[in-house]
This record gives sequence, C-alpha cells and structure tokens, in this order.
Amino acid sequence: MSEPIVCAARPAALEAPGGLESPAEAPGTGGTRERRRRRSWRRVAYGGAGILLALGVWQVAALVIGDPVTLPTVSGTVRELLHYLTHPYPESQGKTLVEDALISTGRILAGFGLGTVAGLVLGAAMAGVRVVRELADPLIAVMRPLPPIAFIPLLVVWFGIGETSKVALLFFGVLPVITIATLGALDAVPAELVNASRSLGASHFHTMVHVRLRAAVPGVITGMRIAMGGAWTSIIAAEMIAATGGVGFLILQAGNYLQTPLIFSGIIVIAVLGFAFDGLLRLLLRAADPTTRHS
Amino acid sequence: MSGPGASRTAAPEGAPANTVVEEPRITERPSAVRLRDVGKTFRGRRRRTSALEGVSLDIEAGEFLCLLGPSGCGKSTLLGILAGFVPADSGEVLVDGRPVKGPGPDRGVLFQTPTLFPWLTTRQNVLYGPKARGALTRETEEEADALLETVGLADFRDAYPHELSGGMRHRAAFARVLINHPSVLLMDEPFGALDAITRAGMQRFLLELWQRHHMTIVFVTHDVEEATLLGDRVAVLSGRPGRTKAVVDIPLPRPRAYEDTETLAFVTAKRRIREVLER
Repeated sequence: MSEPIVCAARPAALEAPGGLESPAEAPGTGGTRERRRRRSWRRVAYGGAGILLALGVWQVAALVIGDPVTLPTVSGTVRELLHYLTHPYPESQGKTLVEDALISTGRILAGFGLGTVAGLVLGAAMAGVRVVRELADPLIAVMRPLPPIAFIPLLVVWFGIGETSKVALLFFGVLPVITIATLGALDAVPAELVNASRSLGASHFHTMVHVRLRAAVPGVITGMRIAMGGAWTSIIAAEMIAATGGVGFLILQAGNYLQTPLIFSGIIVIAVLGFAFDGLLRLLLRAADPTTRHS
Repeated sequence: MSGPGASRTAAPEGAPANTVVEEPRITERPSAVRLRDVGKTFRGRRRRTSALEGVSLDIEAGEFLCLLGPSGCGKSTLLGILAGFVPADSGEVLVDGRPVKGPGPDRGVLFQTPTLFPWLTTRQNVLYGPKARGALTRETEEEADALLETVGLADFRDAYPHELSGGMRHRAAFARVLINHPSVLLMDEPFGALDAITRAGMQRFLLELWQRHHMTIVFVTHDVEEATLLGDRVAVLSGRPGRTKAVVDIPLPRPRAYEDTETLAFVTAKRRIREVLER
C-alpha cells in the first residue's frame, strides 16, 4: 500500500523550521489591528483639522479684504453653492450646478471609458505581438508628451463643439497613458510566475488570463488613476474653450459676470468629483492588490 | 487508508505521476530522469553561448540528486530543460520514461524565490494547480488543509504572501507543488536567498519531507556543504559550457541531520566534492 503524501494519521506536523522566525505581520492579531485603527483615526482627525485651518484662513482673509468679488467669505460661498446646486444660474443657459456636473461627469465616463478600453487592448497587443509594439511604440512616444488640450481647436474643427469633440479629446488623452501603463505592467510580470503556473498544470490560456493579465491589474489601475487626473484637466479646458455646458463652461461664465462665489462653487464641485473618482479607483486597487490593504 | 490521501491510493497502479515510491531504491524501475547528450546553445545578438554540452545523467526514482557547479555553468538551464520551460537543442530528456515536451504538474518546480501569486491567499495558492486543471474536488481541498498543517501554515491559510516570512513563503510553495503529487521535484537553489538560520531549518524540513515521501529530487546548488548534506549523489558540472565532470556518491547514513556536518565522514565527503570541483 502506498503512503499518501499527506499523512493525516500523524498528528504532529513537520517541525516548523527556524523556530526563531516569525511572520512579517501576524494577520488578525488584536494588537496590530488596534494600532492600525488608531493610526487611521489619527490621520482622519489631522486631515480634517488641516482643512478647517485652511477654511479659517480663507474666512479671515475674506473679512479683512471685505470685497466679495475679490474673495467671498466661506459662509457666502457655501450659501451660493447650496443655492445653485438646485437653482439654475441665469447666465449659464438655465442649468443648475448639479446638471453641469452631470454633463462633465458623463463626458469623463464616456471618454475615459473608451480610452481605457482602447489603451488596454493596444497595450496588451503591444506586449504580446512584437510587430504591433514596433509599429505603435514611436506613435505613443510622440503622443505622450503632447498636452491633449493642444488638440482642442482641431477637434472642434472636425467634430464641432458638441459631445463628440469632448469625448475624442478625453479618448486621445487617456489612450497613451493607459497603453503605457498596461504595456509596462505586462512586461513587469516575472517570467517565473508564468513558469510556475505552467508547471502547476495550467494551460497557456489559463496562465495568460489568470497570471499574466491578473498580475498586471494593479499597474493598470495605477495608470487609470494618473489618466483620470489628466482627463479632468482636459475636460475643464475644453469646456472653457468650446462648449455650452459643463463645470468648465460654468466657471468661465461665472468669471465673465464676476460671480466669484460661483467660480469657487464650480471649483469645489470639480474637487469633489475628482476626489470621488480617485477614491473609486483606489477602492478598485485595494480589491485587486492585497499588498495595498491595511494602509 | 482513509484521509486526505484516499483518492491517491485509488489511482491505477503504475501511473507514474501518481506513484509514491515506498523504498528509496527500486532498482528494477526505469530511471526517473534520464539525460543523454543534452546540449543547449543560446543565440545572442552578437555571439552564441554554449550553455550545456553533452550532459548525460541517470537519476533513480526516489533519489536525491544535487547538481553542483560554479555560477553560469548551466545548472539552472538544465533544470529548466527538465521542467520543460526551455527545449534542449540536442540529446534526449526523459522523465518517467516519457520525453519532456513542456511544463507539467508531474514535475514540481521550486524556484529561487517562492513565486507565490501575490493576489491569492496561502490556501488559494496551494489550490491553484488543481483548480487550473479543473481537478478541484472536496478531497483536494481537504488535502490542501492537511498539507498546510504539514508545512506548519494552518494558521496562515487565509494570509496573503506579503504577510508571510521568507521561510513561510517557501513552505507555502512546497505545499502548492506537493498537492499535484509530482514524481520529481526540481529545485533551483531554493534556499539561496534565505538567512543562515532559516536556511538550515528549511534543509531539515526538506530532508524530513523527502524521508517521508521518497520523491525523486533534483536540487541545484552552488554550496558544497548543502549538496553534501542533502544528496545521495552529487553531479558536479564543469564551467561553461556545462558538462558532467563527475558524479560523487555521498555514503553518509540516513536520516541525516544538520549536526552531521561536523562529523569526519561529512568533512571527507565534502573534500572529495571540492577536489572534483577544482580539478
């Protein structure tokens, strides 16, 4: 009778080698978790205090200056912000802040989404097929340092001032960033990880999907976070130059009519949206990469 | 026999990937590993590098063979050929009587680094092979838990690799390979990056594991002492291009322990290997 590799009858496990060693971090031990929670509370408290401090400085400065067109007070800005969230601003073609924010967000989602998908496909193709890499490499190298906003007039000539030109702008801004992130992440997957998968009995295809692509996911998400920052820059610029709606358009209109509190309101809306989108991507990263958790 | 291994005993007799060798030597069995005139040349941009030339070697089933040689002599290349990661340019490579055509779960590979999948927990890492082959059953899962117990990681089954210490990661990699019941273990300087204390512990762990299961092990190292302590025989390779210089028997009794490294017989064996190396 052959002996099974795992001998359940023998209760004593092989002596754990190196009695001195201890794990890098004992997961789930009360002490570290407690300390971690305290640290994160501390961070939230100090972060909140920092924001309050800045608002305090702003309020004092506004009161000292005493001119709401130069610098409105915090309370005045908040009042305007809350008012225009749901009430249309007369000079902004009768849209509310929420409507303008939704217009910008929709453009971001469409352009960023399309650019991300195309970048993923192009990056993966470059990583997998040498001819594609050699063809696309110089194009990407030329495109990457170009500020996407340089293309706004061209896109307006081609597509008009409607949605197409905005989505196209975001697409061409996001595409090279995601392509490079995908290519870099795929190139960085250690060959040994792929070999390990193959020698454990996984097929070529299974290894491609579950190891090579999977291992690249954190790098791609990091690229998406970078691209998202650039996307907001582009869309606000485009809305200021040629648009009839969106937060960028609103800020420009508010500036034209010296409605400083409304300018601040638009900026705050962009900050909140940008923070929210980055937060979503950070959550995605945490889900995809266990090494980024507990921090 | 009941327990986590029950499915193994039900396997048909003579299925090589699943056969556990009871005795360390079964001479009537064909060699577990057979290399004949194996050669490998790498073509660089400028020049061709001959990594291996005419390597011939027979490894018995259940034998612990160490491949020893200076760095750059092609030890790792030879192991990669056995694992099926790189094809040999010439010669014959047989494992359990079948020519090697690519990687497979019958040959468990342990790398210089543990190469665990960082996005999977310890237990998910161990179950990766069966799952990828579509062979994940209730019994396999129970066996994984028993294996984690064996390698002393039962309490860390839901921890991620970055939460484990260096030695623990190596033991998890062991469990991940052992669940496939490989007939041959291929080890490429697996403990090279560990500190001296953890390394001694892992050597003891490996010897106990091998003594219990008697797999065939091919162990690449550049450390004479490690080769002497672990191996039944030590195949010494020459510098580039790698050739088998000599195969030295290590007549030391089993089971061996780390304390044996201080005996006269051990020191004599070590000296013989060193003489071959420097020849």
